[in-house]
Amino acid sequence: MPVRFLKNASELADVSWETPLPVQVANAKPVPADTLLVATTTVTADANRDLLGSTSTELPTLDGCMQYRKLVWFYFRAGADSTTYRILARATDHNGAPLGAGWQEIVPATTLPGAANSWNRIEIPATTDGYYDQYRIEVQRTAGSNYTLTSKIVGVR
Amino acid sequence: MTPKVCLVMREFSSFNRAWTQILRNLGIDYTLCTATAGSTSASIQTPQGVFAAGSADLRGYFRQFDAVILCDHSLNLNDTARINYSVFWLSWNAPEDPAFLFFNPHFSTAITESAYNSNFPSDFPIVRPDPSDIAGTLEAADGGSATNGDPLIQTQIRARGACVLFLAENTRAHVQTICNAHTNNIPYYWRLDTTKHSTLASTTYTHRVARNGRAGEILAVPAPPTSSEDTETYPSDCVVAYRYRNCFWLPHALARAPFSVNLWDVAVQPFVFWLLYGLQLAGVRPRYRLPVQIETSRPLEALEASFNPPYSLREQCDFLLVSWDWMREFARRKGTAIIGGVTTGGRDRSASSRQHWGILYNTSYPAEAREAAMRVHQILVAGHREGTTPCGPHDYTIGGGDGLWGSAVSAGYIRHAGRQRGTPNDVPIARGMYCVAPHVLPADVADRGAQTVQVGDIEMVEWDFTGRTSGTGTTFDLPMDNIHAARMIIEGHIDEMLALGFPDGYCGGHKYTNPAGNNSGGECYWQVLKEFGFRGIRSSSNCTGIYIKRVPPNRIWHGFHLVGAQAIDNCGSASQFSRGLYLPSAPSGGDAVRHYLLDHGSDISANWATGQVAAWRAYRRLLCQTTSSWLHCTAVELSSAYFHPNQSLMCVSLADAVAPFEGWSRLGPYSTPHYNHAVELLENMDAVVRLLPEYLYWGTITDVMDHRERVMG
Repeated sequence: MPVRFLKNASELADVSWETPLPVQVANAKPVPADTLLVATTTVTADANRDLLGSTSTELPTLDGCMQYRKLVWFYFRAGADSTTYRILARATDHNGAPLGAGWQEIVPATTLPGAANSWNRIEIPATTDGYYDQYRIEVQRTAGSNYTLTSKIVGVR
Repeated sequence: MTPKVCLVMREFSSFNRAWTQILRNLGIDYTLCTATAGSTSASIQTPQGVFAAGSADLRGYFRQFDAVILCDHSLNLNDTARINYSVFWLSWNAPEDPAFLFFNPHFSTAITESAYNSNFPSDFPIVRPDPSDIAGTLEAADGGSATNGDPLIQTQIRARGACVLFLAENTRAHVQTICNAHTNNIPYYWRLDTTKHSTLASTTYTHRVARNGRAGEILAVPAPPTSSEDTETYPSDCVVAYRYRNCFWLPHALARAPFSVNLWDVAVQPFVFWLLYGLQLAGVRPRYRLPVQIETSRPLEALEASFNPPYSLREQCDFLLVSWDWMREFARRKGTAIIGGVTTGGRDRSASSRQHWGILYNTSYPAEAREAAMRVHQILVAGHREGTTPCGPHDYTIGGGDGLWGSAVSAGYIRHAGRQRGTPNDVPIARGMYCVAPHVLPADVADRGAQTVQVGDIEMVEWDFTGRTSGTGTTFDLPMDNIHAARMIIEGHIDEMLALGFPDGYCGGHKYTNPAGNNSGGECYWQVLKEFGFRGIRSSSNCTGIYIKRVPPNRIWHGFHLVGAQAIDNCGSASQFSRGLYLPSAPSGGDAVRHYLLDHGSDISANWATGQVAAWRAYRRLLCQTTSSWLHCTAVELSSAYFHPNQSLMCVSLADAVAPFEGWSRLGPYSTPHYNHAVELLENMDAVVRLLPEYLYWGTITDVMDHRERVMG
């Protein structure tokens, strides 16, 4: 007794290689992107402070990012105070150990765009592909007062 | 019926994401609505349209929810508008209307808006705070001292203490409580108009949340002192929580700040109890209850005389024995499991009395101390077998004392004997010089000693281990950054746990441990832990001692749990042990008050020698502080709170180590009040669990990991 199903709302069809049961893909992500970080950072004049508030210069802000072609950094800055950001990246071996100490600076200290209470978006890397394992994203206020920076980083495959 | 609540806020820029994180963890659906202003003329923007705050349309919209929560509050009693739009809702009291939860609501007399004042219910029984007459309209709380900073946004320090009596439950519990605060940073409780309350309390009222069938109900008040030493009392008209018809007037719940609920930088939400209690009062039945459990690090250790502890090795083991016996019994009664991170490495690498193995077997220590230690050990092993005190490895003797991947190289590493990677086997201790994925590896390239290793979803063939093996000896410098080293270390841990008499090395069926320094290592360690049967491990976000790694964003790596942590000791780790609640001569962080900055306006330190109430004040604040962090782990982070028994219990009285705190009538070392952190903390959390039967239960780390998979997957 073949298994039959209603095809095209009117046609009764046997299940076969040519006419498989209609299924809906479940638990599949519609876009190849993952939210990697949501953080509220107090932007201070401290050198080497990353989005997670750490000044340990070897500590990545994000780890295990090899699968991502690009990171997209969305942020909302509460203040317009002059700020620079710097983005560092490096690769690890399969154990997760960095290939060496230090970082490749993929964005040198650069003015952080945006006015007070503004939304902004930065692609990492700005051009070409990433596929680095680790990233360190630092922000430093160069004038004015501390303010909060709320960030979201999405990894895109 | 799907539980569903509505959160009303003014703006996302000050919206605390912990509101939604907690609801997610509880399986409560929520809808976010924003008010266009703080005044009565505000509109409420909902997913189904924009409604005037006092409109019938909004009232109808709200009726689909179990509860409506007001998220905004003020630190300034002079504010003229904050949640003025909500005044209309105080009169929406029909059985079809939802419960309204007001946390730390702003309703001061500084609000001059006529629409607010004319709509504020005339029979509302809580006295509206008057910024020009604070003393006459509010009750200064917790000694009335000012916090050094905004008391509403503190996280892991500067707790304001309160022992609260919950009247219907007839239960006392220490929970951080601030009903209103002002720019002077003093916490306040409310005053009740007793005449209005009497009227309400005798008025019949029907609503599902009116459990006593009356229009007004005092829910909670400051608990009266239990000792004549404690002179911090409140007048009879003082309340901290009240139900007015279907509207709940509750203390502060969550800071009005854009705290991210990011898995790395979660700020502790110390007032979270009141949110859970409010939701329960409102009849919001969560899909999931949250498991409450606690861990210890170093369940058996003793400090030598060089640390200058107040007790001998034997005496330290004695108070640990009594305390662990009490904790094991507590775990039996409550159905929880108190995890213990046993200091391993004592057999092979260090024989100090701080090592579990050392205090048991190092014959340079007095026999009486070792015998006492053995009794503690036997309780732990028996508890491990029955499931009350499961133990796993926790090693300070590697990585420069910092645990898994605690340093780039573990200098002078001494390995275990036997098994696959112990002496005398010559095994790799670093990755091969050449590593190529097998699907791109040409034939006949790898040599005969090649090994295939898999770390996560990466498989590599490694070869040429020249100069990268252990040799046949015992001692060598071990590079910590690879799967071969991880296998050797973890195998040694399991071997030592078995040699100690534990039936396994990973907390029994929980398949879990907490590592030294919360350093879980990186991917290679997680891979090996999985290979040895572990399901999870406690971990800081920066999970190596040299700060070169981060855990994955969701703290789950290929199904392996990296459980977050909050330490809730009663002193700082650098001070080695607690001198008690407060000791003037203690080093920095050496007592609870210093560690958590609890000396508001010097109202403890200045009165310590002359006012007995200071000790009770310190006691309240410490219990509030640590219980808050623990509850935050439970409800917000789904992580683990932990303490160090020897470190935290050094301030107990040997005469009765598990006696409750009794102020100056029972003294511990240094002639300061006896205080058993384990007993007090667990008993207080038990009171919280009993208060929240629909939201919390005593569970285990397995329950936590199960729940993480349920709501974080």
